[in-house]
Amino acid sequence: MAVEDLAFLIPLLPALAFVLTFFLGKKLPTGGAIIPIAAISLSFLISISITLKLLANPEMVIHQSYNWFAMFNIGILVDPLAAVMLSMVTFVSLLIHIYSVGYMSHDKAPSRYFAETALFTASMLGLILSDNILQLFICWELVGVCSYLLIGFWYEKPSAASAAKKAFLTTRIGDVMFLAGIVILFSDLFKIFNGTIPEGVYILRFDEIFTHIPEIAAMNANILGMEVSHITLITLLFFGGAVGKSGQFPLHVWLPDAMEGPTTVSALIHAATMVTAGVYLVARTFPMFIAAPDSLMIVTYVGAFTAIFAATMGIVMNDLKRVLAYSTISQLGYMMLGLGIGAVIGAEAIGISLFHLVNHAFFKALLFLCAGSVIHAVGTHDMRQLGGVAKVMPLTAATMLAASLALAGIGIPGTSIGTSGFFSKDAIIENAYLFGETTGTWIPYVLAIVAALLTSLYIFRLLFMTFYGKPRTNYGGHESPASMTVPLTILAVFALFFGGLTSKVFNEFVSGTFVNNFVNMDINELATIGGYHLASHGHHHEPTLILWMPMIVALAGLLIAFLIYGLKVVNMDSLVSRNNAIYKLLYNRYYQNAVFTNFFSVKVIYEGLAFAGSFIDRGFDWLVKWTGEIMLEAGESLRQFQTGAVQNYATAVIIGVSLLVILVKVVMEVL
Amino acid sequence: MDLMLFAPEITLVLTGLAVLLIGLFLPTGSKNILGYLASLGILIALLFTVSSLGTQATAFYGTVSIDALSQFFKIVFLVVALLFAISGIKYTEGNSHTEEFFTLGIFATIGMMFVASANDLVVLFVAFELASLATYALAGFEKKNPRSLEAAMKYFIIGSLSAALLLFGISYIYGATGTTSIPAIAANMDVLVSSPMGLVAVVLLIAGFGFKIALVPFHMWAPDTYQGAPSVVSALLAAGSKKMGIVAAFKVFIVALIALQAEWQIAFAILAVITMTYGNIVALNQTSVKRMLAYSSLAQAGYISMAFVVLTPMALGGGILYALSHGFMKAGAFIATAAVVYMVLSENKDSTDPDHIDNFRGLGKRMPVTALSMTIFVFALAGIPLTAGYISKFVLFSSTIQAGFVWLAVIAILNSAISLYYYAKVVKYMYFLPTNSEKISEPLPYTIALIIAVIGVLVIGFWSEPFIYWSMEAAKVLLIPGGI
Repeated sequence: MAVEDLAFLIPLLPALAFVLTFFLGKKLPTGGAIIPIAAISLSFLISISITLKLLANPEMVIHQSYNWFAMFNIGILVDPLAAVMLSMVTFVSLLIHIYSVGYMSHDKAPSRYFAETALFTASMLGLILSDNILQLFICWELVGVCSYLLIGFWYEKPSAASAAKKAFLTTRIGDVMFLAGIVILFSDLFKIFNGTIPEGVYILRFDEIFTHIPEIAAMNANILGMEVSHITLITLLFFGGAVGKSGQFPLHVWLPDAMEGPTTVSALIHAATMVTAGVYLVARTFPMFIAAPDSLMIVTYVGAFTAIFAATMGIVMNDLKRVLAYSTISQLGYMMLGLGIGAVIGAEAIGISLFHLVNHAFFKALLFLCAGSVIHAVGTHDMRQLGGVAKVMPLTAATMLAASLALAGIGIPGTSIGTSGFFSKDAIIENAYLFGETTGTWIPYVLAIVAALLTSLYIFRLLFMTFYGKPRTNYGGHESPASMTVPLTILAVFALFFGGLTSKVFNEFVSGTFVNNFVNMDINELATIGGYHLASHGHHHEPTLILWMPMIVALAGLLIAFLIYGLKVVNMDSLVSRNNAIYKLLYNRYYQNAVFTNFFSVKVIYEGLAFAGSFIDRGFDWLVKWTGEIMLEAGESLRQFQTGAVQNYATAVIIGVSLLVILVKVVMEVL
Repeated sequence: MDLMLFAPEITLVLTGLAVLLIGLFLPTGSKNILGYLASLGILIALLFTVSSLGTQATAFYGTVSIDALSQFFKIVFLVVALLFAISGIKYTEGNSHTEEFFTLGIFATIGMMFVASANDLVVLFVAFELASLATYALAGFEKKNPRSLEAAMKYFIIGSLSAALLLFGISYIYGATGTTSIPAIAANMDVLVSSPMGLVAVVLLIAGFGFKIALVPFHMWAPDTYQGAPSVVSALLAAGSKKMGIVAAFKVFIVALIALQAEWQIAFAILAVITMTYGNIVALNQTSVKRMLAYSSLAQAGYISMAFVVLTPMALGGGILYALSHGFMKAGAFIATAAVVYMVLSENKDSTDPDHIDNFRGLGKRMPVTALSMTIFVFALAGIPLTAGYISKFVLFSSTIQAGFVWLAVIAILNSAISLYYYAKVVKYMYFLPTNSEKISEPLPYTIALIIAVIGVLVIGFWSEPFIYWSMEAAKVLLIPGGI
């Protein structure tokens, strides 16, 4: 049996692990962690061997599709894009699960934890494997539910419960947009087929959708007096879903709060199983985006803005995990930016963006797990109370340094020396430059480069404040057990070397997803549908300064952080005060909380709409209550007919027969 | 004639006789082997039937036919019989009359299967009575329990009355057409249509079948009998014998009496509306779960009767699919109740109403598998998506709307909304109300039967395409004259 036939097991095994762990976990040591670990390692082995096969032979896409009902199918599709995602998710999730054995050892309900993380992984894998948008949406929602369960894992803590609710509701806004996009897409396709769908054609399957892009693009909707192509509308709604899931501005507000769950859950959410879903969705439906240049522009700008916006807030946070949360948002911004640049460079954008996604998964998972290791040992995540942790936890500190170098993107341009993050982020920034050169708009590039400076600044600030210098409080602590440090070391190796080793192969592999594959899309032709042309390929030689720019700003960030937090040449206490307007603005996170939560949610939605709603609702309540009572009354009185005496029953039969004859006669006369 | 056509029936007859004979020589203690034997026989018969899906033949001078319709309903009956037999293994434990229990169950099933195959009113009536007589005895199986005896008595008296009415109706038809063969009746309808005899015959037949289907006002025995009879027998009655009434009515009205369509369509419209509304409303304040399920199955019969009113291929397919789904859901719900009753009686031998809803308190903790299965069954009965109940309701109701009977669909949907109240009440008791009693081990045969039913409910709900296909095939047999 070929390994391709086992592809369906990739999500199924963790799903099975969920069931087993849920029911049997309590009886097993460590909450039954062994079940999901075994299941996910098998999934990982299948994924990686499929990926390697595909790598050798990119045309051997696995596509199995079965009739579900009517014009819908369920199926799996493993093309290069899905393959790398599968391998990454299973790998990172596996390491996180192993790490969790140690991390959750003191928890009350480890079996619930492992069951839920297994389901989380299963849903994400199902999402990646989907060969149609409906199935993808179902898994997408499952991911949402799991994130709700896991963020609120310690539900007895009010802050955790409310963070879970916030995450669920915020992403829901995106989900509704995504669903609206699917509905429009479905009705368009239905129209294209004139309502008669031939046997064996499943209209929501990706290949079917992509082949009909020209027809969809030809349809126009009139919105507020503007002619908008349906393809633009659909892609924007899809992007709306991605904005929610992938924490892009303005729906990013849930992500920093999501750290209320166990740190390992944050690692899962931030690296493998949740926030990448949005980026994946855009990449999966990329041919549609290519045909909708306006949407791609919006993707570019939202991405670039999110990258810098989140990075500025990362600088002032004092909570270890919060810094990392803002860092994730910022990096996701880069990935979106990378996809948006597709308007100029075409399919290569998927390769670049996905490359950053995978590298980010490695170093972000590592950062969170290191943070978890510190929190596990020390018991606090306020950086102001830490300092000098490196002496107590040398291994954790070393791996954290590796992750930080990767995040900051340290490496030497033009060579293959550098951390993973360097290669992928550099590629995005370079292409943002190309974007500027082609379109004449330099804003994305400028935002990206400044964000790179800030990235380096906040991550080294974190590093110096936490691991360097002398302890600021008396915290004790010890190095974490091997089950935690081994995953750290493995991830550190990947964070440092994966990018450098695979950069070229990876980009070519993933960029080819939509060419000569399960579909054969001509990207240039799609661009023509959108009414523009892609930049001609060929090597653009940027000026040396531009080539070195990302590296320079990264080092600058490192230097600034070292001067301020390492050598303390500037007294931060004078800057960090309530009187400094900029600090206040940043520390209060641009008053988003005030604007979004206090004003928008509370005043507008809650007090405005909800008041009107409750008025109507009370009317319905009254109606429902009275209907209910009348029904119950009726039931009570009708019960009296059932006397229990068999004579009455026989009478009822005879009367019934007679009445029925008369009734039928009467009705027939009337009609 | 190919005897293989009757392989399922022959297997069952042999199994029934074997169980009876072997039972005579076994000491009471080792009689539980009979249950396994019966289950095995039914399973083999089921496999035979499934493998003969799609066969078309007639036998015994055209009085019995094998077609998509008959095979589909035979599968329904055999599935219910299988669930009945498996759960019966536990129910009859230590009972000296075990062999009678299983033999009667098997004979009842044979009767139902011949009704599904009958192509002649006499065969149909005899088979109908075979099934009825066997179930009368089964309902009174607990000879020392006055409730069980009362249930059997009422069932028997009303059943005899209905049989008389049915026979009376058949005699009119025979008198007017000179034949009892169903296709021949359809060809000789002139006299019956032109005289008022037609209407009387139709109403008498409806009364006769309505007794089995439990249509208001011919239903009054049903709540008492379902409650008083052993739960496992109630499962057979509600899930199996009710379907026998439906398939008989399908054959007699839609094939034989199609010329009197106007009359019986109106009659069924009236009865369907009354039955579903009455069933749902009275179910609201029941405290006995079995009684609640009895009324709920009235309501379900009301939904299925809509197929007679709408009479499009899709509606009939929906009704037939509903019959299959209802077999799983209702048999499962009764068996879950049987498990609870078993638990209550094993804790307190003198409990007078072991199926009281208070006994379901905290069942989610006490008997997790039973509680979860029960939840799935009642949600399926209420028509929650991804269950068999949903897909059947969806096909049936949407076909009703398509055919222009919007008012009927609206009534049915409102009724479904009402029904959620009492279904959810059971779930509330099982999961949200506290209990002091502790967890008990769930009897294995019940659990196996429950799991089979759960799988049935979920598979039909999720992978509905083949089931819809086969029920449409079965519906075609009814609508294409001479398609037998």
